[in-house]
Amino acid sequence: MTRNRRQFLEGASAVGLAGIAGCVGGFGDGGSAEYRVGMVYATGGTGDDSFNDMAKQGLEKALEEFDLSYEKTEPGNEGEFPSAQRTFAESGDYDLINCIGYAQAEALRENAPEYPDQNFIIVDEVVDADNVRSYTFNEPEGSFQVGHLAGLLTDREFAAGAGETNPDASTVGFVGGTRTPLIESFEAGFRAGVEYANDDAEVVSSYVGDFNDTGRGQSTARSMYKNNDADIVFHAAGRTGVGVFQAAQDEGRFAIGVDDDQSLSNADFADVILASMVKRVDTAVYNAIESVVNGTFEGGKTKALGLEQDGVGAVYGDELGAEIPQEIKDALAESKQALIDGEIDVPSEL
Amino acid sequence: MAVTRGPTTEVTPMRNAIHRARTSLEQRPLAAAVGGVAVFLLVLWTTPASWQTSTLRFAVPIALAAIGGIFAEKSGVINIGIEGLLIVSAFSAIVVVDWLGDGGATAGLPNLWWGMLIGVLVSVLFALLFAVVCLEFEADQIIAGLAVWLISLGLAPFISRILFDSPNTVNITRFENVTVPVLSEIPLVGYLLFDTEPQVYLMLAGAVAGWYLLSRTTFGRWVVASGENPKALDTAGVDVRKVRYAAVLLSGVFAGLGGAGFGLGTLGTFAGTGDTVINGRGFIAIATYLLANYHPIGALLGSFLFAGLNSMQDVLQAAGYAIPTELIRTIPHMTVIVVLVFVGRTRLPDAAGDHYESGDD
Repeated sequence: MTRNRRQFLEGASAVGLAGIAGCVGGFGDGGSAEYRVGMVYATGGTGDDSFNDMAKQGLEKALEEFDLSYEKTEPGNEGEFPSAQRTFAESGDYDLINCIGYAQAEALRENAPEYPDQNFIIVDEVVDADNVRSYTFNEPEGSFQVGHLAGLLTDREFAAGAGETNPDASTVGFVGGTRTPLIESFEAGFRAGVEYANDDAEVVSSYVGDFNDTGRGQSTARSMYKNNDADIVFHAAGRTGVGVFQAAQDEGRFAIGVDDDQSLSNADFADVILASMVKRVDTAVYNAIESVVNGTFEGGKTKALGLEQDGVGAVYGDELGAEIPQEIKDALAESKQALIDGEIDVPSEL
Repeated sequence: MAVTRGPTTEVTPMRNAIHRARTSLEQRPLAAAVGGVAVFLLVLWTTPASWQTSTLRFAVPIALAAIGGIFAEKSGVINIGIEGLLIVSAFSAIVVVDWLGDGGATAGLPNLWWGMLIGVLVSVLFALLFAVVCLEFEADQIIAGLAVWLISLGLAPFISRILFDSPNTVNITRFENVTVPVLSEIPLVGYLLFDTEPQVYLMLAGAVAGWYLLSRTTFGRWVVASGENPKALDTAGVDVRKVRYAAVLLSGVFAGLGGAGFGLGTLGTFAGTGDTVINGRGFIAIATYLLANYHPIGALLGSFLFAGLNSMQDVLQAAGYAIPTELIRTIPHMTVIVVLVFVGRTRLPDAAGDHYESGDD
């Protein structure tokens, strides 16, 4: 038996070593392109149909236009951010390191001063360092727009695709991922928008505590549709939001997506997605790379992307957008202008 | 003062109070049963229907994984890898359904049921791997169990990336409700128990089957003996190794039913990032069977409790009571500590975690 065990251990370690070797081997070309960028994606990685994929789109657009090569890492948890950033910075080979997502801010605050000649950007958070350009989005403004849409629609009888509103109650819902200031700012903007449209409308909100748990997203939204008579639920909950769409389909109600046009990225649910509150992460990444290529990169500054810069906004659903009444679209266009002109004040905190 | 039975040495006052309550209930089984049913019906009557259905659906992975865990641990093999078994079964079930064609049928069987079958099979394969490592190579059961979880945690998103270019799978059509005629018309319980999804029936049947198998059959007695006193079982001429293999594989079957049922009936898509969409439900299952002191029906009720707490929190939040999710999530594990310390009824099988080497090699 002992001999057996040793054999097993030897075999297992051989397999393990081979596996590790396979992992180390897999880096990209490192090529001869003029510019090189490093991408540190948010946890969740590419293929999330959302935040990271938007960043990737921006990168791909830049790849087409400039003489550019890139390397990427997709950390599996927040603890890996510091070393992922350092690995890129340490090599000194990169003209720009893109840090996607607010969760990287803490790591970048420590790393940026260590590598003063390295250019970084961070998306969704402000890091105060001379070599970091911060891109933030005015989520409350964008959320106000979809809130306005929800507030106007919940009051009337409206049926399209697989959903219909409940004319007896004016209730809309919000499902958040984790309860953080960023996600709360979505809710704050959404509430303000609903109230602007309709004083009597009620907003129910719930935080699932996770960006991955589609099951909980589903049960939370179902409870809103069934118990609270909500007819439209807006989510800012990453993958958890797929559960919101499932519940909307099951209950024959509507949902509003987030980050990218989810009626396209999650086409299975296009028949219940009224609109999406898009955050143009792709624009931020593209602009940053462009500025590096043009030699106009400005560290130490924050670029706030709002409605005016098309950094955020309400995009109507691919399938349902055409059925939304024109007067509602007109009202949204009006409130958009008012927001840009500063005539409407949107809170960013609850 | 009621007559105390059993060992009552050195009990804390708290423990004594609970013990007394339990003894007095045990002395009046009829009153206890009637009271239990009354409380149950009152809960059904006063709570929203959507909360009840959601509780039932979310109890599925917890209850079935817990029953699986009971068999493994009762036989003396602590299987903390059931979280991993839930992950692989839910993931592979969804992949199979997508591969065979969403909504179709293959060889006369709806693809959803093929998914169920393969999901359970994959879970059993992982359980077999775990059993071989523990029983043949005498690996530490806790470490091997952790390995099962960690491997699953990495493997599912990895394969998903190969297949779907994303850690998240595509979306499939979920199980539809199966309605039992007549029975579903019963007030209060009909719509809940007889107009629901297949995986809920599986859970209810699985709990009863698990209870019967463990406490009413020869195999069940072997399993218990293998965990309490393997030497005695060996002396009686029963191969402890085989019993343990069977028990661990059985834990794979139950956890597989839970994972695949949850994936196909409730989730419809598998999110593979972070802790994956299973999100610690397997660990809650462990807490559940410890709380239930290895009783399959108790584990079923315990899973209702924990799943119900989660759904309750959604209802409360929407009603304006902001209860932090993080706190709710700790409740199952806190309950176990409280139960272990103050009630002291849960007792690990004597030989749990120990390797047994038969003398006659």
